[in-house]
Amino acid sequence: MDVALRINNSADPRARYVTWAPSRCSIRVTNTTGIIGLNVGVELRNRPSTAGGQVLFSRNATGPWSATLNLSLPRIGTSVPFFVVGRFGRPSLADRDAVIQVRRGTTIVLATPFMVRIRKDANALTPAERDRFIAAFAQLNNQGAGRFVDFRNMHTNAGSPEAHGAPGFLPWHRAYLLDLERELQAIDPSVTLPYWRFDRPAPNLFTLDFVGVANNIGTVQFSANNPFQFWRTDGVPGVNRRPFFNTLTAGANVITEAATLALGTTYDGFQGMEGNPHGNAHTSFGGFISSIGTAARDPLFFLLHCNVDRLWARWQRQNNRFDAAQAAAFDSNLPAGNRIGHNLPDTMWPWNGLTGAQRPPTAPGGSLAMSLSAPAPGPQPRVRDSLDYQGRVTQSARMGFDYDDVRFV
Amino acid sequence: MTPKKKAKAITKGSAKKTRPRKRAAGAGRSSSSTDYKASWKAASDSSRSDAARIKDFGKLTNAICDDRAVLNGMIGVLRDVKTSLDVRLAALAALQAASFATIRFRPCRPPYFAALRALATDPEPEMRNRVLGLLMREQDSLAQKLLLDGLKKPDKALVPPEKALQLLSYDVKASAYPIARRIVEQPPSSDAKAEALRLLAADAKSVGIFEQRLLDKKESPEIRQISAAALQALAPEKLQQYARDIVMDTTESPAVQATSLTALAQFGKEEDLSKDEVLSKRVERIQSSDAAQQIKQSAKQFATKYIEK
Repeated sequence: MDVALRINNSADPRARYVTWAPSRCSIRVTNTTGIIGLNVGVELRNRPSTAGGQVLFSRNATGPWSATLNLSLPRIGTSVPFFVVGRFGRPSLADRDAVIQVRRGTTIVLATPFMVRIRKDANALTPAERDRFIAAFAQLNNQGAGRFVDFRNMHTNAGSPEAHGAPGFLPWHRAYLLDLERELQAIDPSVTLPYWRFDRPAPNLFTLDFVGVANNIGTVQFSANNPFQFWRTDGVPGVNRRPFFNTLTAGANVITEAATLALGTTYDGFQGMEGNPHGNAHTSFGGFISSIGTAARDPLFFLLHCNVDRLWARWQRQNNRFDAAQAAAFDSNLPAGNRIGHNLPDTMWPWNGLTGAQRPPTAPGGSLAMSLSAPAPGPQPRVRDSLDYQGRVTQSARMGFDYDDVRFV
Repeated sequence: MTPKKKAKAITKGSAKKTRPRKRAAGAGRSSSSTDYKASWKAASDSSRSDAARIKDFGKLTNAICDDRAVLNGMIGVLRDVKTSLDVRLAALAALQAASFATIRFRPCRPPYFAALRALATDPEPEMRNRVLGLLMREQDSLAQKLLLDGLKKPDKALVPPEKALQLLSYDVKASAYPIARRIVEQPPSSDAKAEALRLLAADAKSVGIFEQRLLDKKESPEIRQISAAALQALAPEKLQQYARDIVMDTTESPAVQATSLTALAQFGKEEDLSKDEVLSKRVERIQSSDAAQQIKQSAKQFATKYIEK
């Protein structure tokens, strides 16, 4: 007897990446040898392990979720749908370290490797996770000649009104980070963007082996085996970043996470976080990261914004603000509306390719990168598409990322 | 000036505009007026401790965009040389943070940048450092001229030469190259030499300088590593050959060898390197030796990509 398992509705191994949010899966019989009767019973479970990724199973996208799932598979090969979610607290440490075993009795008839791919605290990454992230990012930059140049050119003074100082701030940066993350995953599919939790000390992040250590004038030094030593933007090598706080013992000069999450229960109030902690995190340094036009030249910028996005995700969960139809989930500023690019139905620059008039003169980078494991938000995302990132309102809206401390179940 | 009078003077001239401005179309929600007014009153009270005022400045980021009085008052604190440097820097940080809200900050930009330009020659070195950095990141021509003038006439320099070179790299102009080359030849400090080389790394005509520095074993590892990174971008084929030679040379600096191996692992041509048995054997020897952890780590990266595959 043989069976075939599809994860994220795909037989392609490149689609085998799951998060805390439900992934649609299916299983069917492909070889009936040894099967007696119309159906055969199988059990789905995780390969036993003490570390690495694990999932929970359910027949439905809404649960209930359990560590094993018994299914009856038609002998004639009809697909039987089911769902998996990453087991919270058990993300993968490496690509394909998670395995779904399909058992018939005590016999394992199929073992399918996959990854519970989750964004993690940069300060807590394993050395291997850190090194894979750096290698992929350095390759994307390719000394200033790689695809990263588009991401650098998206975040400039010219494009800034598309992304800052208005309600689209959080949705725009969510799409921006996802686009970058998918490009990194095209280089190494095991990589996710880590976040810098800027209200806490991060002694494992500000090291020569990770985002570097500033010298007395703010030129960042890297260890000789760190590929970031070849980082180059705008034709100039290196990174300038001078911290105004003790990076080993303190957080940045920002309000706490609890204070951020208490900014308001409606988006209207919460978006004040663009000033503090977001702006204050940027200006806790001198150098690239402290000005909009140059911030994206520093790899740390992406870890900072990953935390901004995580804070939004935490706030969304705390207040159940995922549904664009809910007034409190966004600031539509009705009836006047917002500037173009900051209203729920608006497409976002530069992925929409629009230039001139009220948009910037150029649209670098083309459409948003696609993913085999999560088709949303599509090549030209609208502001509203960023809200339901876990697919809570519409399962197909799931964007294929999650944070290690923001649950779905 | 008494503390109370000083606080009053800071907000003078803007008293008629203390009402929060109407929210611009599309702008994010303004700060709560009752909260920020209390914070601003406390922050602008110069009789309070610096630490307490600095804490209050951190709460005013959004209010700067909402209330012209707060903006003007904050700029007043920033420009007041009689106020402690720490408090002035906190005001600068709050203004900078507010500037990230581009749409809401737009009307604030002209007075903010006028203040920054005025502060480029501030008596406090740290203020000059930060302000010149902010201006150079906006490619400000006045800041560029001041920095170049300081490199040409050190007695007029507003910042040390290494800082000036670092800041000039925000908007590299060919006019800076002759000065940078001179500093590489006759460096006032090792930091200045390193920054001059970083600036020249944008100049395709400086390949020879980097080859010379990379191959000179008397140079410091840092200078040689900067040269390797510059060459990898300006003349990658040359660097890849030099990197191989350096790895094969058992008398080489471990730090420069580690950088070379990283360049090969990260940017080398797979079809060539995976067939290079001599290099592979050398890398395996490094891995099994008692060499420094750094070079062993680089060797591991190389082996994972080209040998173990």
